[in-house]
Amino acid sequence: MIPGDRDELHALAGEYVLGLVDAEQRQEIEAARGTNAALDQAIAFWEERLHPLSALAPPAEPPPGTWERIALRLRGAGATSRAAGKVVRWRWATAAAGALAAGLALYIAVAPRPPMPRLVAVLHAPQQDQPAWVATTAAARLHLQAVAGQTPPADRAFELWVIPPGATAPQPLGVVPTDGRLELAAVPAGIGAGATLAISLEPPGGSPTGQPTGPVVFVGTLVQAD
Amino acid sequence: MATLPLWPRPGSRVDFDRNHMTDDSARRVALADLIAAVQRGSEPALKRLYELESRRLYGIALRITRRPEIAAEVLQDAFVQIWRSAASFSRQRGEVAAWLTGITRYRALDAARKLGREVLSDDPALGDRLLEPDAIARIEGRAEAGALRRCLELLDQNQRRCILLAFVEGLTHSEIAARLPAPLGSVKSWVRRGLLTLRSCLEQ
Repeated sequence: MIPGDRDELHALAGEYVLGLVDAEQRQEIEAARGTNAALDQAIAFWEERLHPLSALAPPAEPPPGTWERIALRLRGAGATSRAAGKVVRWRWATAAAGALAAGLALYIAVAPRPPMPRLVAVLHAPQQDQPAWVATTAAARLHLQAVAGQTPPADRAFELWVIPPGATAPQPLGVVPTDGRLELAAVPAGIGAGATLAISLEPPGGSPTGQPTGPVVFVGTLVQAD
Repeated sequence: MATLPLWPRPGSRVDFDRNHMTDDSARRVALADLIAAVQRGSEPALKRLYELESRRLYGIALRITRRPEIAAEVLQDAFVQIWRSAASFSRQRGEVAAWLTGITRYRALDAARKLGREVLSDDPALGDRLLEPDAIARIEGRAEAGALRRCLELLDQNQRRCILLAFVEGLTHSEIAARLPAPLGSVKSWVRRGLLTLRSCLEQ
């Protein structure tokens, strides 16, 4: 259990930073990081304040080839190219779904063929390539959908933001309902190709300030879908 | 106060050659710029960060793991993690160098725990220099270092030794107890009391 008492919490955080907690305590602490602000602050305090001690370890030359191995591993992760591949496959899936819908429409002769998405963004955790959300716009509507069930930590909500190309301040688009689907009837002016969509962790009901207050956990760029 | 730690700023650029400065504050600015570029996915920025910081971080990993091949793996893992989690670093949270140290140390501690203590304690001179009375005189440099040194001087010798052996050598409670030597229970309480004294001193 993470203690509420200030001294206990600071001692535990200090032991964690020193590497003195056992595996079980460590798991508990790591699970609570990001949601327990007092714990985060205590850990940051010790990491920062004890940092000068690291000067007691004499610097040493890493074995040759270490950077090359790191670079290979980064490319192995292939973040950009793989995410782009996912977009292409996703577009084909959308096209197939669109065609199927069109067939149905002809058959029952009621609805017109739904318009193809104009813009699409695949959102993923920063620096990772696993697609987590797909956002599409069509006929001035924006639709956001979790790829696999994404749930925010307890007492936090996902909030969607857009940063238009060239802008620095994000605009709030809305809090994502717990079913992982968000539908906006009117797409704000800032949304266009090249805009960044981001999802941050906020208090339930959304950021009280109109700007993100929690960490950005997913990010993606809108591109032309056709 | 609303904070936004990681917006990529399209179009902003970093001058990677601006890091020749030896001056400490210039170095900090350089590291902060590099991390900002890494957050935008720049691999050259990560490489520059490696050139600037790898000797320091490898030294830290080597003290804790004591094996060059393990320390090299730790360094690789640390840089892959820095690449992946750069987005979670925010300047409000503190200094880049401390963040890099944290990532490297946690990975080195994991590796050391996996190796087991027989490997760690096969060096009879383990931690000798940290047990010397003037060990903390070698904490040099900046204002934070001065404050830490002053506060460490308030601790009694056993408390100070426990904290140094844990931080620098990555020893566990029982390894410290074996190294000093002292009863395990005493080591645990020296660490806690030492930390609480340090905190109240550092907070002033």
